[in-house]
Amino acid sequence: MLNSSPIIFWDGAAAIFTWAGSGGAVLWFWVMVILCILPALSALRAERAAEKEYGG
Amino acid sequence: MTPAEIEAALQWTTNVNLEIYYFWTVAVMVLIHVGFLMYEMGASRVKHSLASGTKNILAFAIVIPTFYMFGWWIYLAMYNGFIPDFEAGAGGVPWGDAMGPNLQDNATGVFWGAFTLFACTTASIMSGSVIERIRLAAFIVLAVVLGSVVWNLSAAWGWHPDGWMVTKLGYHDVGASGVVHMIAAFFALGILINLGPRLGKYNKDGSANRIQGHSLPMTMAGLLLIVTGFFGFFAACLLYGGTAQWTNIYGGATTLSAFCFNILMGIAGGILGGYFKTRDPFWMMSGALCGLISIAAGMDLWDPSLAFVVAFAGGIIGPIAANWLEKLKIDDAVGAVSVHGVCGMWGLIAVGLFMGGYPTHADGVPPISLGGQFLGMIVMALLGFIPGYVLSLIFKVCGVLRSSDGVQTAGMDVEIVNDAYPEQLKS
Repeated sequence: MLNSSPIIFWDGAAAIFTWAGSGGAVLWFWVMVILCILPALSALRAERAAEKEYGG
Repeated sequence: MTPAEIEAALQWTTNVNLEIYYFWTVAVMVLIHVGFLMYEMGASRVKHSLASGTKNILAFAIVIPTFYMFGWWIYLAMYNGFIPDFEAGAGGVPWGDAMGPNLQDNATGVFWGAFTLFACTTASIMSGSVIERIRLAAFIVLAVVLGSVVWNLSAAWGWHPDGWMVTKLGYHDVGASGVVHMIAAFFALGILINLGPRLGKYNKDGSANRIQGHSLPMTMAGLLLIVTGFFGFFAACLLYGGTAQWTNIYGGATTLSAFCFNILMGIAGGILGGYFKTRDPFWMMSGALCGLISIAAGMDLWDPSLAFVVAFAGGIIGPIAANWLEKLKIDDAVGAVSVHGVCGMWGLIAVGLFMGGYPTHADGVPPISLGGQFLGMIVMALLGFIPGYVLSLIFKVCGVLRSSDGVQTAGMDVEIVNDAYPEQLKS
């Protein structure tokens, strides 16, 4: 559906991953960064709830 | 040394390296079964725990000889559909020269071993979903049919370089999202419909009770061992090229490094996705499997960042699918249908969505496409579901599928000649 191939031929190919050498790879990198932050925020929320209920 | 001697020495080095490489993938894959054993026993209540473990190990043991008897032959001969190619299958006949110690053949034994462990994995995937109520004899037959017949057909069709799904659809599933995981999960789904839920799972008003296993720590450690074993599983999905580049199962160029990037990103993305969705340690660890299965089909081509994103989505999809199945009154004790089946579907579709445009490796083979992946997904679902449903229905009609309420209440361990935790027994 999405044309993500960085190569046309296999002969002599080097970086073959999806969107290699293009802006697509940078885009997915930043999406990954955001997704890494979400679980930490989720943990923070759970911590706060526990502290509120059981903390001093 | 003469050029001929150098060439012969190189050939021997290649042969022996190949043999060593696959031998150790087989050994590492046994960890998958250590993990499944711990996972299933931990997910069972105390009174069922040994029965669950016994069932799991019997599946492993029965698939190995039956895969030798006819499983390997099916893989080699049935790539074209249901009509066997007897010439191609000749190498898999148990009494043939290749199927035993042979000084001219360093490859067949280790390849057979790797495929046997893939087969055992399918049986173990099904095993967890049916714990605490399936009868052992019926389970053994179901494990044989799944591991040594049905899985071999899916591998012959969607993994064999000449398989019709590969050559006609351009089906791309290098790490077996469909070929192993969907097949096993949909076979299990067919059984679960006929088997019914564990005693006490559902109330009269239709609401579901959460049945906790007796040791979540054992289950968590088991899941991490399964993940560890999958390093061997995925390594065995590569073809060792000797003096040339590695190739994937279809003969397309790839590297072991590509797999390493994406295996680790898949594990991490799945764990974080599962944690984010549920904050439940069970689904966090199952999320690791969800992530791996989500990226397995395109393991050779994912950008690692995108693999992480796809796996993170898989870690969220798994528990959502499990809740949905529970509402449909399908009691899958370990979430195998969700983790392996639904995430396997996601993995195949993700390849179709994100990997369009890659040139094909062989003349006449269509490139990766969303349509090809979607059709492949349907084939895998049906190929798994139909035999699982029909065979378990026959067992149900014959009254040999499900243990009685009395045995379930007493605990399935009453059939086992030992005690899991004897100090807990009343004197």
